[in-house]
Amino acid sequence: MTKVVLEARNIAVRFGGLIAIVDMNFSVHEGEIVGLIGPNGAGKTTAFNVITGYLSPTAGSIVYRGRDLAGLRSNQIAGLGVVRTFQKTSLFGACSVFDNILIGLHRCGARNAWEILLDLPRVRAEEARLRVLAADVLDFIGLSARRSELASTLPYGEQRLLEVAIALAAEPSLLLLDEPVAGMNPSETASFMELVKRIRQRGITILLVEHDMRMVMGVSYRVVVLNHGRIIAEGTPAEIQRNPEVIEAYLGRGAARA
Amino acid sequence: MRRLLPWLFVVFLASVPQWMHDQYFLHVLINTGIFTIAAMSLNLLLGFTGQLSLGHVAFFGIGAYTSALVSLGFDLHFNDSYVFVFERKPVWFAFVCGIAVAGLCGWAIGRLSFKVRGAYFVIVTISFAQVMRLVALNWVDLTEGPMALNNIPPITLGIPGIWELTFLRKLPNYYLILCVAVLSYIVIHRLVHSRAGRAFIALRENEPLAASVGIDVTRYLVLATAVSAGMAGAAGGLYTHYVRIVDPDIFLFIYTVTMVIMVISGGKGTLAGPIVGGLIFGMLPQVLREFARPEAQWIIYGVAMMVIVLFLPQGIVPAISALWRRRSGRSPDRSDPESKTMAGLHTAPGAAP
Repeated sequence: MTKVVLEARNIAVRFGGLIAIVDMNFSVHEGEIVGLIGPNGAGKTTAFNVITGYLSPTAGSIVYRGRDLAGLRSNQIAGLGVVRTFQKTSLFGACSVFDNILIGLHRCGARNAWEILLDLPRVRAEEARLRVLAADVLDFIGLSARRSELASTLPYGEQRLLEVAIALAAEPSLLLLDEPVAGMNPSETASFMELVKRIRQRGITILLVEHDMRMVMGVSYRVVVLNHGRIIAEGTPAEIQRNPEVIEAYLGRGAARA
Repeated sequence: MRRLLPWLFVVFLASVPQWMHDQYFLHVLINTGIFTIAAMSLNLLLGFTGQLSLGHVAFFGIGAYTSALVSLGFDLHFNDSYVFVFERKPVWFAFVCGIAVAGLCGWAIGRLSFKVRGAYFVIVTISFAQVMRLVALNWVDLTEGPMALNNIPPITLGIPGIWELTFLRKLPNYYLILCVAVLSYIVIHRLVHSRAGRAFIALRENEPLAASVGIDVTRYLVLATAVSAGMAGAAGGLYTHYVRIVDPDIFLFIYTVTMVIMVISGGKGTLAGPIVGGLIFGMLPQVLREFARPEAQWIIYGVAMMVIVLFLPQGIVPAISALWRRRSGRSPDRSDPESKTMAGLHTAPGAAP
């Protein structure tokens, strides 16, 4: 078995009286693609928010590569290589596609304000290097032709690709994708599945929340099922599809609600 | 051409006193220049990080008072037995102190409001300016209160004993302000076109997303506030050593409003915006004073502002550059066949029945 990179230990999240997650335990191994699924309101996005520091858990801890993430701010967690995308399309709308990527590359730069104000040669060198990196990312994601267009004017499917590109620019070692193909048409989804596999080939571990079952089952090595804030099943896609508890969570007992 | 344009503009401004000998007009230009620098500093916050500082005049005033006090010297009576005496210092040193203290206050405000955004940031900055005004009014020992600090020395530059230049007349002051404005422009230009500037814009556009790619949003907001405040402090210092008197009215809300009008009308988030807006709304009241009756002056001012906001909601500079792009846009379209054919390919299947 490969090394565990991300471990959620006894995570619980309560919003006042509402219990979003009860005692969640799961782990992600190096180089895996893990799908996190569950009906609406099961706590998937809440789990993402906890992992990436947008929400602190009521109890439990998240450990990434041996480091407890408790108390770290989102940007510090991103600094460790845990980068997420958002469920609702989230871009720097008034900036060009290329500038969106450059912003995403923030972590790859190191020049501080003094160096910038003095316009030292290494500032220019870094800027040139970042522009090359940005062009590479755009190439990889397939948006090079759109580089000078405004992010907000892209068609929906390409906006979702750009989101992933921004996250990739931040050089993640663990990428969390929150419903990346929601709203995409079948052919866009199919090419996105190829993209996920290509991202995986770059050595990036992926945790994926998605409602599109063909997509999740098609790319995931392992699937974790959440329902009512609880993990009800875990296994390979084939096992999950046969699991009676999972079927019940989605369709109800005796298909009464279907 | 685009790179050359700002420098041509600077050369033009530098040439103005050579053919314009009206001293009053020069005075108007100097005042406009000072406020344009303040507007540029506000633009760094409002236009790039998207945070509206409605107390920006506080930094302007702090720069003015600090520079005045350091150059005049002051003493503080803590009690009967202990008096702290601050000897007067050279004016250039006072000016630098003004920038530093204003920048430090900006840093503190940035830190204090590290979780405060939008409307709350506005309230924090307004309160700060009001507090500063009350301090200036009531700490009579230090600031002379409403009696104002008088006889503030003009800026002098030089090597002691060899050569000295005192900025007593309008002409040298004009060139000094032009220099500071150019420096401020360079500072903003470099910041905005860098990794730091992209972090500012990321904060303006989408803060959660900015944090998700590892941008320490608070740190960059603090940086922007400190630089912006220091620059406003520089404008305040220039003001104080030019008019050579400073009273608590320097903290009046109307000055902040003037700066905001300059930035918004010129185009926030553009480098040239506050300069264009600053020149228009700095000169307009003076020009109107020549041509319009007193009761009509402010009406015209207000109408001009409303017309700009209604018809050019993005500001003058973005409107002009959009126009420029549309007019010259036809040629790039032709010279860029790829985009044309790509667009053609996309529309063709739908168009053909």
